[in-house]
Amino acid sequence: MLYRGSIGAIALLAWVATAGAQGFDPGKYPDWSGQWDKSDAGPPRYDPTKPSGRGQQAPLTPEYQANFEANLADQAAGGQGNDTTYKCIPLGMPRQMTGVSPMEFVVSPGATYILFESAMAPTRRIYTDGRDWPNDDNSTFAGYSIGHWIDSDGRNRYDTLEVETRNMRGPRVFDPSGIPVHADNQTVIKERLFLDKANPDILHDEMTTIDHALTRPWVATKSYKRQRKELWVENNCNENNNHVAAGKQDYMVSADGYLMPVKKDQPPPDLRYFSPARKQ
Amino acid sequence: MLCRKLIGPITVVAALTVAAGAHAAEIARYPDWKGAWERYVPPGSTPSPSGLLTPGGQPSFDQTKPWGRGQQAPLTPEYQKVLEESIADQASGGQGNNFDRARCMPTGMPHNMTFGPLEFVVTPDTTYILIGTQARRIFTDGRDWPKAIEPSYVGYSIGKWIDEDGHGDYDLLEVETRGFKGPRVFDATGLPLHFDNQSIFKERIYLEKANPNVLHDQVTVIDHALTRPWTVDKRYVHSSNPRPDWRESSCVEGTGLVAIGKEMYVLRGDGVLMPAKKDQPPPDLTYFKK
Repeated sequence: MLYRGSIGAIALLAWVATAGAQGFDPGKYPDWSGQWDKSDAGPPRYDPTKPSGRGQQAPLTPEYQANFEANLADQAAGGQGNDTTYKCIPLGMPRQMTGVSPMEFVVSPGATYILFESAMAPTRRIYTDGRDWPNDDNSTFAGYSIGHWIDSDGRNRYDTLEVETRNMRGPRVFDPSGIPVHADNQTVIKERLFLDKANPDILHDEMTTIDHALTRPWVATKSYKRQRKELWVENNCNENNNHVAAGKQDYMVSADGYLMPVKKDQPPPDLRYFSPARKQ
Repeated sequence: MLCRKLIGPITVVAALTVAAGAHAAEIARYPDWKGAWERYVPPGSTPSPSGLLTPGGQPSFDQTKPWGRGQQAPLTPEYQKVLEESIADQASGGQGNNFDRARCMPTGMPHNMTFGPLEFVVTPDTTYILIGTQARRIFTDGRDWPKAIEPSYVGYSIGKWIDEDGHGDYDLLEVETRGFKGPRVFDATGLPLHFDNQSIFKERIYLEKANPNVLHDQVTVIDHALTRPWTVDKRYVHSSNPRPDWRESSCVEGTGLVAIGKEMYVLRGDGVLMPAKKDQPPPDLTYFKK
């Protein structure tokens, strides 16, 4: 039986606990510190349990399956197909969560940030301040993300971040093989991010992509492993990029600084605007 | 009188409560720098060709003065010549010493702190400054300088929080940044930092006491292109929008410039190459079959 004096003491402690919880209490949030990189072998891809390219078995509509096949044919001939990374266009969602580069999660009041080592993966801001979806049409490659922290096991600590992302722009693809996202950019992505119960140095991202290029929602779980000792190396696409995009054509620049074709019999760029005396 | 059976559980609850309270109390010691911080526009600024209001030209390192020569940067004679040659090349259609920015290489320090909006994310171990596609990490966990720094355009920053006014809260972040790669510039005229990339930046970042909607970043640059350390007081103004609109800007999407080797050309809207300068030769097509 609870002694009266004890009831008062417990009530006091409950009040203090609440007062302490008025501010942001990092103790209530999971430890996602450190540097996270994909845990599987092989190239970054949407579903890490399957091979890339056709092996992903993406549930594409017939129209977008044809688009994908044409893209693969172009890549086989030396082109880039649907992949725009040769121009250093940002990767966007969902591709930037395929382990394209090490990431850092910064959990703060009102937002969780995901920072990427690669400059081609824009910073993600996942707003957890209870806001509604914005009314404007500002779209970005990373999209607009709203999240909710969940205490899924009832231990009075948050362990799962549920996220929904909308308002993306393109062009975007799922992976380097060029699996396409619909050109209407109406993609909706839902994620559940949580630490592995058996190994807290593994973080899972259970992702569901809803897109008009797909016949059904495409679900895959990505996993990342933690490096406690961080080393951030700048990864700038333009730094060692020897691709040159001129209009719709992709060329390369040789080590000696000369323009080169990327496909057999590719015509040179149109030089009509250069002085005739200067043309070779 | 407290029942003995409850002493144990109450002690545990008390300890956890104290810990939770201590966590929150520690977080509360740091200043509130949330939101979007826009570039300060000095009085008397006029629209530049790009539409931005400035004292002259594009936004500059010393916000109170025009860009380029107007900065009156304490350059050595050698680097004053680099600036003059850059300005001359730009006047004839080239990019001068700003070539790498024109091909969408990262701006790096200090140019990355010029435009805004900036976002500061303060945690006890690190303060992050998010600037477009770049993120500065200012480590405040008490670490020493690493024996070898992986060079980067943003540099490696170590900071220390200071309670300057003795009120029990932190109000000043002192930062030192080293470990650069380059080339980097102060502004888009190509106002140069030394090509040896030995720059050191020292910053004091704090809210203005009289107006907490103004954030100061007092920057001192120590660089071999300069005859002496160069200090400016950069200011940022807090956006009144409680939910800032973080727009994406992708250099490669908006650029009409194409770099082939050491030459920069212009790409017309129809995708056809054009010279950027008078009498500029076209790219060498040796590798294309006739």
